[in-house]
This record gives sequence, structure tokens and C-alpha cells, in this order.
Amino acid sequence: MTLRVFLMILTVAMIMGSAALFIRRILTIYHVMQKARPVNRTDRLGERIKSVLVQVGLHRRMFRISFSGLLHYFIFSGFIILLIDVVETLGEIFFPGFTVGPILAPLVDIWVILVAVGILMALYNRLVIKPERFHGSDEKDAFLILGLIGAIIVGIVIHDSFFPFVAPEVLHVADPVARAHFLGYAVSRLWVVLGWTGPTAASIGYAFGYLLDMGVVFAFLAYLPYSKHLHIFAAVPNIFWRNLEPAGQLVPKPIEDTMAIRTFEDLTWKDVADLYTCTECGRCQAVCPAHAAGQPLSPKMIILQLRDALNDRLADKNPNAEYPDLAGGVIAPEELWACTTCGACQEVCPVFIEHVPKIAGLRSALLEDGIVDPNAQKVLMSWDRQGNSFGQPGRKRPLWAKGIEVPIKDARKEPVDWLWFVGDFASYDPRVQHLTQLIAKMLTQAGVDFGILYESEVNSGNDALRIGEYGLFESLAQKNIDALSKAQYRRIFTTDPHSLNALKNEYPKFGFQAPVMHYTEAFLELIDQGRLVVSPVPIRVTYHDPCYLGRWNGITEAPRQLMARCGVHLVEMPRHGAQSFCCGAGGGRIWMDETGIADRPANQRIREALALPDIQFFTVACPKDVSMFSASVTAMGVEEKVRVVDIAEILAVAIGLQAESSLALMTV
Amino acid sequence: MKIAVLIKDVPDLVEELELTEEGRLAVDDMSFVPSEWDDQALEEALILKEGDAGSTVTAVAIDTGDVDNMLFTALAKGADRGVKLVGDFNREMSNRARAEVLAHYCHTEGFDLILTGVQAIDDLDGQIAGLVAGRLGAAHASVVRDVALGSTSVTCIQEYSGGKMAELRLTVPAVLGIQAAQKTPRYVTVSKVRQMQKSASLEEIEGESSEAPALEIRRLYPPVASSHAEMWGDDVEELADRIVNLLEEKKLLRS
Repeated sequence: MTLRVFLMILTVAMIMGSAALFIRRILTIYHVMQKARPVNRTDRLGERIKSVLVQVGLHRRMFRISFSGLLHYFIFSGFIILLIDVVETLGEIFFPGFTVGPILAPLVDIWVILVAVGILMALYNRLVIKPERFHGSDEKDAFLILGLIGAIIVGIVIHDSFFPFVAPEVLHVADPVARAHFLGYAVSRLWVVLGWTGPTAASIGYAFGYLLDMGVVFAFLAYLPYSKHLHIFAAVPNIFWRNLEPAGQLVPKPIEDTMAIRTFEDLTWKDVADLYTCTECGRCQAVCPAHAAGQPLSPKMIILQLRDALNDRLADKNPNAEYPDLAGGVIAPEELWACTTCGACQEVCPVFIEHVPKIAGLRSALLEDGIVDPNAQKVLMSWDRQGNSFGQPGRKRPLWAKGIEVPIKDARKEPVDWLWFVGDFASYDPRVQHLTQLIAKMLTQAGVDFGILYESEVNSGNDALRIGEYGLFESLAQKNIDALSKAQYRRIFTTDPHSLNALKNEYPKFGFQAPVMHYTEAFLELIDQGRLVVSPVPIRVTYHDPCYLGRWNGITEAPRQLMARCGVHLVEMPRHGAQSFCCGAGGGRIWMDETGIADRPANQRIREALALPDIQFFTVACPKDVSMFSASVTAMGVEEKVRVVDIAEILAVAIGLQAESSLALMTV
Repeated sequence: MKIAVLIKDVPDLVEELELTEEGRLAVDDMSFVPSEWDDQALEEALILKEGDAGSTVTAVAIDTGDVDNMLFTALAKGADRGVKLVGDFNREMSNRARAEVLAHYCHTEGFDLILTGVQAIDDLDGQIAGLVAGRLGAAHASVVRDVALGSTSVTCIQEYSGGKMAELRLTVPAVLGIQAAQKTPRYVTVSKVRQMQKSASLEEIEGESSEAPALEIRRLYPPVASSHAEMWGDDVEELADRIVNLLEEKKLLRS
């Protein structure tokens, strides 16, 4: 009896102690979330539940790294099976004679083995493979937790191994599942050999195993919310609260005052939840182009620095204490300005943390304090004054349309079927203008009734918003929306993914609604309608998915199908589709100083393409990509090996508008 | 210190300048931006204010057209007051006439320190600071930078040719023509300017003007090109020969 009473008293004390610590911490975090900005993340229940099932139950994103995915699946599922053990073990002591039955009992033992395998794999991962993505994470904490989990499974086997002796002799009940716990039963044979089966020896052994199991479980419960392992509880709600709005929409509603994040109250409550859900796995860091370029940015460290700063403030009893600014203090300007807003971090995060809105909000705070790259500042002023990033007069926007033989309608003056939103680079960049002209010719050949807004078009504001200049974005958007509202058209057509993103995802908050198509989608449709007749262009190419087309807008199939229709043989790079690797131009980076960039993302991407067998063409579908990658190919001196080609150029050859020789490699 | 910054706007040179048939700038079709040097003066004033809690900065512009936005921008950047001197003024106003209006206003306010851009792209005479100082009987220096506040004086740096620099001290009141601020003029977000437009108001003060001798612009015209660049084509061999020949011709090659 003393064993039971002893363990019961101890257990109750442990439950109360750990529950108190657990609840206190959760309440503290909850209070921070309560004070944060509102955001609606509890709508569309069905979709949310489905996403939790897929992402938690099937570990969809976790399995993108198979080794880590598998080891995590073992340990994760072990936690579910652990519940059986907790019920069984507490039952054994509190309600003598309780049993989970012969089916559930052996499940515990099976999962003890799988968790043990998972722990060994995790150790191998952290000690031998040592992925770079863990750099900056709290690895001591990771080892501590692995140790605790190891202690729990050892405890389980130990108390199970002594229970067959404790049950009849101390508790005076039967142990019908003694053999079902096959691991415990195997170990119990050892105790028989050693003669540790008497009431005293078995009681001590059982109590040891019990405390190793339950003691660590409750210690774990108390410790969890103070460590990165809060994700065990936070991951499920955080995935449930994921963003279901269009991914490319950075700002859901018009902002009255400012988008700047200066205090933790400027975050949304989901942002706060993100901080405490981060598992420090570093998958975001591994895919970040800025990090790969050698810049000081790691999306993981942004989250961790914010979380640590919040924890410091929560722990500080002094109400008048002064803290460093979040933007510029807790997180350095160099980190924030390095972001290309490519979204690879968000795409890969297994717990659906949203890094980009936080970075944009923090950038906005820097911008309000005047801390911004001088070149980016010039571009912001050009957008404000001239409506384009080139610092060129607005009147020169339609100059590309002069001197080509096809007439281009003025959509401000007459109705058109397709309204072409051209964008800055396609309009002004001399390296891209010939493509813009080619598109005009192809539309004409297909008999499309199209027009442009001439000088009434201004930059879409997509990048201004991502630099953190909400007011400028809004004023640019308003100018475009005014011009568009005066035109008559059926759909909007653009070659520029950045404009597409703004028109499709950022303008609807101002009441603007229109179907927006990327040229790859539109031309695919024209081919399938028989309005463009293609003959095969048998070249081998690889294709770079632009971030604002593929990742943010999910348009990955249209460009591929368009190339397939043209008879092009596509060889994929390892990183493609939503997992594409940024060219380094987004989020305003294209205008910022390159100091600190050891290895340009665009160069890395060209090397990725060159590693493929017999690839002569690097195809793109974004005007900025044409500039970025052409510059890289030239800088790397590989013009003889690979040529950057816009899909439009291939289509032009396929429909007989240009000779195949136009696709020849540069020969020196 | 009570600091004033005299600012004006100038044609945006991004746009091509057009002349009317009468040989005047077609100001109605042009867009205007704050004068770059005045922006530097404003930045310098704001830096001084940040370094001295008791100082205030007043941005002053003559209403020669649409100057409200420029003044609200100055407020958004951190100026305390925005003053618009209204009256029968237009963009063709000479600097002599401007100086009369500005000096009269500054006299009524009793500023300790008045900063303005050393010159502007549309006048190039650099006279505003000197003329205002003369009318006020205040100390003056132009083409200066690195202004520092003392208790009743200011110091600044003037740079001469031949690698000489001078540190100048002026007893206030003083007027300075600023060459460059200590750092790049700050960026101000569109929302901040918009908020200013909603929450703050400009002080409209009747500008007092008196007669000033004026210059007459007889005509404005684009410069006539005296020679043109010669294009050498893209034949590498030939290009190399021609470059070598040219260097030899100009005696730039040493053998």
C-alpha cells in the first residue's frame, strides 16, 4: 500500500506543479496575443481541419526532407502513443486493476522502439550530418529534449518490466497485459535471473521506472512552454490558423495609419503565435536566397530574435525598462533589407510561420525612421514623382510601342478585349523592350483585340508595399485603379508577375475586381483555341519559376504546358515550382546595394542550371528575370554554354514570327 | 535656437523642359520638385534640432505655385512649423524679389539661424542667403557644411580649392547657404505626409514685397551642340588599332 500512496501523492503533486507552470506560461502568451492586432484566422473550418490533417497527420511539409521527416514522424507519433502509456500507468496506481487491454499495450512497446530509432536518427542528424540549417538554433535544448524523451521511453520499459511482480505481490491485482508489453516482459526475465522480483526490489524498480516515465513527462510539460518544444502543443493550432487568403496578398485590408511594426502589439496575434511555434528547424534558413548569398538574414533568426526579445520583456519586472527598437535594434537593418520577399521560407515552414509580413512591417518602421538604402530611396521617390522605378518621365512609358508595325490601341479611349498592364521593366528596360514588342506582335497575330493604358499606367506598387511603403503603394494602386475604371475591357493581361500579384491579390482590398492573366496562361489558351498555330521548336531547356508567379500565385503549370505545346524538352532544376530559388531581385532588392553579397542568388541559380546535362537555354517568364539572369550569365562568362530566353521568344519561333536562329547561343 | 529653412521648388529635370513660343519655360506643363540644395539645408536643420532639444525648425516657402506638399513633407520629416508666404507671386520671381519677401518675414520672426540651399538649378546665382543676410544685417556664409550650434554662435566648414578648409564662426543671427547636409536627406513615407496634411496646417502669412531691381531674360534656348561623338563600330581588331593610334597621337603612350 505504501508504494501506491507514495506514488499517488507524488503524482498529484507533480501534476499540480507542472500544470500550474504550464498554464501560467500559456496565459502569459495568451495575454500578449490578446493585445496584438486582430486578424481573422478561424473562418473556413473545413479547409483548416483538412490542412491540419494533411500537415500534421501526414507530415506533408516535414517529408520534404525525408530523413528528418521520418525521424520526426517516429517521435511525433510516439507522443500520441505516450498518451496510452500515461493513461495506463496512472490507472495502474490510482485504480488498481485498470488495464488498457492487450491491443493497446503492445502498441506502446512498438512505439518505444520507433521513438528510440527516431532519437538515434536525430542524434545522427545533429552530430554527423550537421545540416547548416541548424546554425543559430539552440542545439543544447534539442539534445536536452532528446535526452528527456529517451528517459521517458526507458522509464516506460522499466516500470512495465517490474509491474508483473508488483501487481500480484504489492497491489494484489492481476497483470493481464504483462506479456503484451513485450519489451518490458523481455527485461523482466532479467530481473528473474537477478532475483529482483520480491516485493521490495520490485517496488523500488517499479517506482524508479514510474518516476522516470511520469516524472519526466510532467517535468517536460512544465518545461515545454518555456522552450522551442512548445511547438508540440502550438503546431496544431498554428497550422489551423494558417493563412488561407491568396498567398500573394501581403496586406489583407486597407491600412488606416501605418503598417510599421514597432512593438509586439503591432504584430497580429497569429504573428505572436508564430514566434512561440517556431521549432528552430531552420528549413527557412536553408532555402533563403539572402542567406545563401552570404547576407546576414536568416528567416529563422528573425523569428527567434523577436521571440527572445519578447521573452526578455515578459521576464522583466521593471515597467519603465527601455528596450531596443524591434526594427533596427532587435533585428538589424541589414537583415531586414536583405529580404527578397521570395516567400521560400513561408512555403517550406512545417508549422506555417509567416515571415514575410513581419519583415515588411519591420521594414516599414525602418522606412518611417528614414533608414533605407539610398538607391531604394531614389526608386521610391521616382515611383512617387514619375510612377516608375527608372526615374523616366511617365510620358516615355509607351515609347516601346512606337516604331513597331502593329498598332496598339489606347484602352483609355476605346474598348478593348484584353487590357495589357505592361509594367515598369517591360516598358522601360532597353534589355526587355524587344520582348514587349514581340508580345504585341504575337497578340496581333492571334487576332487579340488589346490595348494599353499608355502614360496613365504607373508602377503596380507591388514592390513599394514590400519595401514597407504602404502609403506609396496605395497612391500608385489608386492611380492605376482610376485609370482602369475608366477603361472598358474583359480581362487584364500582363507579362510581369509582380504587377500580376498586385492586380490580383493586393488591389481587391480597394474594391478592384478583374480577371488577371499571365501571358503564359493567356497564350496557352490562344494555342488551345487554335488562334495560334505552333510548330515544334526542339530545344532542351530548363525553366526558372518566378517567385511572384509560381510560389505566390501558384502559376507553375501554364508556363510548362506552353513550352510543351511548343515542342520544347524541359529538364527541371532540383528547385522548381513552388520550391523555386529566387533570382534575388524581389522586394526591392534589385535596386539596393549589393555590399555583403558573397554569391549572388542569380549566379547560384545559373550554376544549378549548368549542372543539368545538355541545357543550352534557361527560360524565364518575368521581365526582371531577363535582366537579372542575363547579367549573371555575362558576369560569369558562360554565354557560350547557356542563354537566358523568355518563353515569349520560344513562342515567337514556334508561331513563325522569328527564325529559329534567333535562339542561337552567343558565340564569341 | 530658432531655426528657419528657406525652401523652394524647381522644375523636375526628369521631364524634358519645353519652351513656349515666347522663349519662356512652359511652366504650366512642368512638374516641380523641392530644390535639391534646399532639401540638404532642411536635413541639416533637422539634424541640428535633433542634437539640441530646445531648437525649433520652421520651413518657409513663398507661394509661387503648389508649395503645400513640399511644406507638409518638411513637417513630416520633423519641422515644427510650415510657413507659406502668400501674395501675388509666381515662379518667374527673381531671387532679389524673393529675398525681399523672405527677409521681411524672417525679420518679424527673429530667427537665430536661417539655412537655405546654396543655390538652385533654375537660378545658379547662389544669392538668396547673402541677400537675406544683407537685408537682415545678419552674419552670412555660403557654400558651407557641417553646421554646429554654440550658445550665441554657430560654426561651419567651408572648403576651398587646393586642399584648404576653414572652420568659420558666426554670431547669431546668421544666414547660411548650405552645400550639403551631414547625411543624405531622409526619406519620408507617403502616409506620414498624408497624415500631416490631415492633422497639421500651414501658417499662411501675407508676404510683404518691395521693389527690387530685376534682370530681364531676353530669351531661353537649348544649347547648340558644337561637335558630336564619333562612333567607331564594333570590330574589335579595328577598334584596338584606333585606340592605340589615338593614344599615340595624343602622346599618351610611353615607349
